[in-house]
Order: sequence, then structure tokens, then C-alpha cells
Amino acid sequence: MSILPVLFACLPAILLLGATFLLPIVSTLRLSFSEWPGVGPVEWVGLEKYSELVVNPDFHSSIKVTIVFSILSTIGVMGTALLMGLAASRKRRSDEPLRAIWFLPAIAPATAMAVFWTISVQPEIGIVTQLMGKIGLGRDSAWLSEPSTALYVVIAVSIWAGASFPFLLIVGAIDRIDPEILESAKIDGAGEWQQNRFFVLPLIQPVLVMVTVLQFIWSFNGFSLIWAMTRGGPVDSTSVLSIFQYKQAFMFGDFGSASAVGVLGTIFLLTLGMLGLRFTKSRSAIQ
Amino acid sequence: MRSKNILGRGSWGLYRIFVTVIILFPFFFIILLSFKSMLDIYINPLSLNPDWAPENFKEAWGGPPGGTGFSVYSKNSAIVVLVALPISGAVGAIAAYFTTLLSPSLRRKFMAVPLLATMLPSIVLLLPFFQIFNALGVLSNPAALGLLYAGLCLPVTILVLHAFFLEFPRELLEAAALDGLGIYRTFTKIVIRLSFAPLLAITLLNIIWVWGETQIGLVLLQGSASQTIPVGILTFSNALKANPGPIFAGLTLATIPLAVIYLLFHRVINRGITMGGVIR
Repeated sequence: MSILPVLFACLPAILLLGATFLLPIVSTLRLSFSEWPGVGPVEWVGLEKYSELVVNPDFHSSIKVTIVFSILSTIGVMGTALLMGLAASRKRRSDEPLRAIWFLPAIAPATAMAVFWTISVQPEIGIVTQLMGKIGLGRDSAWLSEPSTALYVVIAVSIWAGASFPFLLIVGAIDRIDPEILESAKIDGAGEWQQNRFFVLPLIQPVLVMVTVLQFIWSFNGFSLIWAMTRGGPVDSTSVLSIFQYKQAFMFGDFGSASAVGVLGTIFLLTLGMLGLRFTKSRSAIQ
Repeated sequence: MRSKNILGRGSWGLYRIFVTVIILFPFFFIILLSFKSMLDIYINPLSLNPDWAPENFKEAWGGPPGGTGFSVYSKNSAIVVLVALPISGAVGAIAAYFTTLLSPSLRRKFMAVPLLATMLPSIVLLLPFFQIFNALGVLSNPAALGLLYAGLCLPVTILVLHAFFLEFPRELLEAAALDGLGIYRTFTKIVIRLSFAPLLAITLLNIIWVWGETQIGLVLLQGSASQTIPVGILTFSNALKANPGPIFAGLTLATIPLAVIYLLFHRVINRGITMGGVIR
């Protein structure tokens, strides 16, 4: 098959991908070396925006918040998703409807769920707060308006909303395991726990590593859920990089440093993604 | 051995019930509270017996006085979906099929492009989107946002459909070639007509993504009359802070239809997800 007719057929896709992804990347790079308040001419300022960011304490705090959020959210999501995967892949008849229901949080719009959870943890009237009050925990606590606790509420909701997608990928990996392997392990006297520990987990390990890397990237990029719950507050305690960027551009009119945030974040994530892919490949090569 | 097995089953059983309750909790209460009056929500939100306040839905649909409601947000979401899906579906299906005709090494090089695109964070794309939309005068224009969403849906569309087309029976293609059909007509006359299931899967996946996209919509749809459902929810719930009834009615309108569509088609959708491997 010669390449020309294929290229011709792919032309619309190439143009659309170029306009949606390539063009904006080049623009962001250019903007990150510029002073631009959102209107008027774009003025070249070299590395000034980057050197401003390096000394900006809000940027530092936002990196810290992003790292804490991404790490805790990824650990919570992957732990939950793995347990859910093991619990829904035992070939019971109820597995199929269960999988459908357990995927619902991935279907529902993130902002809708965020608004629900935000109202639910309000002191006194929130239903979560009231349930907490019933089991003896303070129902007048305003966890989401306390700078010391808001981030953890957001992380908990991100685990609720985020576990379903990796769950489905993990279940898919478990389904692909040759049933004979588990059958012969069973005949050799391995209980369910031993089957999981010595056969299922090692066999799905490449998928687990890959999904963990991806989940970290998704958490790192998270915006909608946090924005809908706190707008980055109280006192920037939940202001992750994407919220810091939004505020720099659309509240302070500094598109230059907002773009520099985008460039730095992307370099970090792509490096991490490449390392993760390489790690997955070498691991599966060993097996 | 046997008792251990039963114990194992029993604890998984409890865990399955526990997870199901936690997952259904918000959906259940969103629906329940959407039927309660403001007084009932403030006094006994946990009571399972609502005092039936259908005016919540009337206010959610029409919006607060002088504001915008879900009738407008739904219309905008529909516009965005109707523009984005046919474009990404058609452009994506063509690219996904014709790349399967390439040699394996060349094919992998082509597929690296959409794969890389799915990894790009929106923080590196967002600001130029605003810049370009502003320059073209299409800020607060749902149809223009739909076109952008078509481009953003394209990588996943290509990856999922490509994985399917790779397994398309070669004999059918060879038979078509023997009958004198060129590669383009083989695609339109044979391949597309036999690909209903994957096209449905990717369409539903894209609807789910477009229906929930907030970060880009928030920046590009600034007038409340132009906002889609996930962006509008934020405007709406800010405007109605003291009266949660209509907010819950709005959340019901935003989530339940989509959840029903998913539950009807979950086999098709889940297969699409595991086939394409990775979707954001």
C-alpha cells in the first residue's frame, strides 16, 4: 500500500489535530516569553515570566498543593480501584450489573458531583455532616472552609469520582488472565488471597504501573472538580497549578506567566509519562 | 479450606455492598432532595419522605428571576454535542481506517500522534484557545466550542476505532478489491456499514466527555446564555446559594439522563473503553 492515498484520506484529521494541539502548543510557548494582558499587542519579554515565577511564593505553594493532591489522590484512587477490581472479577453472575453501577461516577459530570458534595459537607444542613453527627462526629464542622482541612475533603471527593475509570481498566486486565492459570493454582490448594497475591497481581502488574502513571497525570491536571468545590480557596489552600494558571490569566491578566506555568507543567508531565512508559516496557520485558 | 473460602466470599460480599452504597449515595440524594422544599431540606434532609416540591424543577428549567436556567444550558449542550460528534466521528473514522492499510512500522509512527495528543494537559492548550476565540470573535459561541471539542475528541476517536478496524476481516477487503472496488469505496460501501457497534461506542464515549467538559467551556463561554450544562451548573448554583432545592433539580437534569443512557448501553461503552485502552 503506498502512503499517498492514506495521507490524502488522513488530511482532515492531520489539519484538525494540528489546529487543536500543535498550534496552541506553539502559541503557549510564544506567550510564555511575552507580556500579554489578554487584549492588545503581545510584547516579547524573554525569560522574564519564568524568572518571576521562580520567586513567586504563590507559585511555590501551588506546586506543593498540586504534589500533595496528586500523590494522595493517586494512592487513594489506585488502592480503591484495585480492591474494586478484585471484588468484581470473580465471575459471579452479579459482576456485570455491578461493573455498570461502579462506573457511574466516571459518567456523571464532575462539576455536578462537586456541587453535590460541596453542599453535603456544609455544617448543620449538609447530609454528610448530618450523618457524621449521627455517629458522634462534630456536625458543625466546616471542613471545606478550613484551610487546614479543605484539601483533604477535595482529595476524598476526587477518589470517589476518580476510582471508576482505573477500576474498569484493571478489571479488563484481570479478565484477560488465562483462567487455566488460576484453575491450576486452585487445584494446588491456593486460596483466593493466595491466587490474588501470587498470580493475579504479578500478571496485571504492567497494567497497574501504566494506569498509576496515567492516574497521576490526570490528578495533576485536575481542575473542574476542585474549581467547582472551592475555586482554589480558602486562602489558596486548594489552589493547584491549573487553578493558579486560571487566576494568573483571567483574574490578574498575566497570560505570560500563566503560559509559563503551562509549559513547565507539560515538560514535567511528559518526562514523567516517558519514564513511566519505559518502566512499563522494561518490566514486561523481564516477565 | 472450605470455611476460609466462605469467609473470603463473605468479606468480598460486604465490600461489594459497601462500595455500591457509597457510589449510589450522591445519585440517590440528588434525586430525593430535588423533590424537597427549601424548608424540608434545611430541617430534615435525611428523611426519605419528601414533601414534594415540583416547583424546584420549574425553577431549574427556567432559571432564577433574571437568570438563565437548564432549558438554555441543555440547548447549548445539545448544540455543542451535535457539532462535535459528527465531525470527530467522520474525520476520526477515516483516519483510523486508512492508517490500518499501512505497513506495521509506519502504522505505529502514525498512531504515536493521537497517543501523544491524549497525554497533553489542558494547561498547555487553554490560553491559546482563548486567544484564538477572542481574535475570531467567537467567545460565548457554543457552535464554535463544538468545533474545538471535535478536535479534542479526535485522538481518542482515532485510537478506539483504529483498534477495531485492525480486526476487520481481511477476506472482506480482499473480496471487495477483486470486485474492483477502490480503497475509498471499499471504506464507504463495506467497512463503515459493518462498523455500527464501534461507531456507537465512540459516539457515546464522546457524548460523555463533551457533556462533562468544564475547564475549556468555563474560559470560552463567558455569557451565561451561552453556557453548557457543566459550566452553567456553576453559574446557577452560585446564583441560588440559599435555595438548594432547584440546585438539586438542576443536578438531577445534568446527571440522570446521562446515567440512564450509560446503563442502557454500558456493554458497548465499556468495550470501547477497554479496546481503546486509555481515555482521559
